[in-house]
Amino acid sequence: MSLGADFAQLAEDLSPDDVRQVLGVFERDVRRLTAALVAASAAHDATTFRRVAHGLAGAAGAVGAKSLESACRAHMVRADLDPEVLPGIATKIEQLADAALVELAAFVAGLDRQSRRA
Amino acid sequence: MTDAPARVLVVEDTPTQAELARIFLTGMGHEVRLAPAAGPALAMARAWRPDAILLDIELPDFNGFELFKQLRTEGIDSEVIVITADGSHRALKEAMRLGAWDYIVKPYNKLALATPLGQALKKRGLERQLARVEEARPSDRFQGFIGGSPAMAAVYQIIRSVAASKASVFITGESGTGKELAAEAVHRSSPRAGREFVALNCGAIPRDLLESEVFGHVKGAFTGASGDRMGAAKLADGGTLFLDEIGEMPLEMQVKLLRFVQTGTFSPVGSSRIERVDVRFVCATNRDPMLEVQAGRFREDLYYRLYVVPVELPPLRERGADVLAIANHFLTQFAKEEKRKFKGFAPDAEAALVAYNWPGNVRQLQNVVRNVVVLNRDGDWVDASMLPPPVVRVGAAGAAAAPAPASMPVPPAYAPPPPPLAQERAPDPSQRPAWEQPAPPAVAPAAIVAADRPWVQSPTAPPSLATYVPPPVMARPAAAPEEPDIVPLATMERRLILAALRRTNSDVPRAAALLEINPSTVYRKLQNWRAEGLHDAD
Repeated sequence: MSLGADFAQLAEDLSPDDVRQVLGVFERDVRRLTAALVAASAAHDATTFRRVAHGLAGAAGAVGAKSLESACRAHMVRADLDPEVLPGIATKIEQLADAALVELAAFVAGLDRQSRRA
Repeated sequence: MTDAPARVLVVEDTPTQAELARIFLTGMGHEVRLAPAAGPALAMARAWRPDAILLDIELPDFNGFELFKQLRTEGIDSEVIVITADGSHRALKEAMRLGAWDYIVKPYNKLALATPLGQALKKRGLERQLARVEEARPSDRFQGFIGGSPAMAAVYQIIRSVAASKASVFITGESGTGKELAAEAVHRSSPRAGREFVALNCGAIPRDLLESEVFGHVKGAFTGASGDRMGAAKLADGGTLFLDEIGEMPLEMQVKLLRFVQTGTFSPVGSSRIERVDVRFVCATNRDPMLEVQAGRFREDLYYRLYVVPVELPPLRERGADVLAIANHFLTQFAKEEKRKFKGFAPDAEAALVAYNWPGNVRQLQNVVRNVVVLNRDGDWVDASMLPPPVVRVGAAGAAAAPAPASMPVPPAYAPPPPPLAQERAPDPSQRPAWEQPAPPAVAPAAIVAADRPWVQSPTAPPSLATYVPPPVMARPAAAPEEPDIVPLATMERRLILAALRRTNSDVPRAAALLEINPSTVYRKLQNWRAEGLHDAD
């Protein structure tokens, strides 16, 4: 399944080692921020939820995880963000984040194969 | 690598984005530091002085625009490129309004970053190169000053050196040497140039109003305070407060100023509210400040607070060829205004200008040149015969003929004077004062003088001219009528012009400013009165 992740731009701009470095930071960001998102939704804290979604959107956009970025941005700008619906949104974003990390792992594995061939 | 190595500070709270920017920038050869919030970014910018800052707007502690304003307030002039996910017109407009070099909308790739950053650093490099060239070569112009004499080059260098700091500047110099211009030069050369320059003439403000003028007041603070009013201190927040003629400030006000200088805080008159501002102090006086301290007229503690960087402006007579450079500048300016064809000064006029010792300094030179331009319609070159007698005479006799003490008042502008009103009705032309007689060829008419202006006296001038004192305008009997006497409008006009000239020590531009008319109008009126015969005019 493609979730719109497009790491090609990264590969174009950076060396494989640098791509691995950035994607490693991204993975840590995603895990930290999705945990914070889930916590904010459980607390029905829409303000924190928006701020964390903003950070997650920025991280996702930077590496090309477009579906994750779009989902975060769609919710962080919603004026009618009802605290009651936050857990559901957090779950959906968490799923997109996991999928992005899977695609990311596949992309890094591809880089590794290319490196070995070279 | 696309540019010369530079210091780039990345202000970004999302680690993925910060890391990506770091890798892009190090790949371009730059030295990079990362700040995850506005607070650490400000500390790094202060200590590290980056060439460029990539500034995210959504930060966890402060808005990026607030950080941007603070950087500029503190004189950190790094090129700023705003990086934002909010590509709205309003956000981008605000970024550009604050002086950002460019903006990048997230997400961005390496090229989107390299292009504006490269341009910003190139511009910064060129500016620095230009500044180095400017500093290296002797300059004959600086922030409104004209002249490249060694004395002025030293002044320019001090102003350049002190501009970037917040240190107080104390300007001294004779009247007419350009103290306010120097204060403005300090402000314009400083990182505060984008904020207000507020000038207060401490000698021109009534003693009772000075505190209110400096610190403002609240409604009801005193009779007539019908509303809150900001003072100069508040208006100059982030900028420069220029206190001219500080030696005239009453001692009780000096105490309040000292507290303000020490703490940066003050209370508006009538209020207990403490306000804090960030101002740079520039002061000026035409007196010797240390002598004022010794005489007990100026507080010693305030003196040491303000006299941090002294700038002494040389009198014009010590500026050598600057006299001609300035005279030519004024000639070009006034000739354009008055639609004359003058191209410059003839050698005899140049010799006279250089030889004269200009007790009224640049202001006097300005008056003389305007006078020449207004009164002489024909010719391409200003020759010595067009210059007023004091200049020509001293020029002929040598500069040593007229010493000029520092406290000497500004001499009068050269202009044909109107008669004393007491003589206006003299019916016999033979009784007319000498200035009403036709001027001899190539000798300009005499100057308006006051009796205490010995430098315009001449053995060849008639006594009535040398001792001429315009009578007090509107000097009516002590019991003034409720309604003023009705006199012809032309008479009233002349009286007002004469009064303004007396009030300003015959400084025509200042008199004209008081009257809110053009200086050339004053010159023309004076010339016309002489030509028409004043005894017929009243």
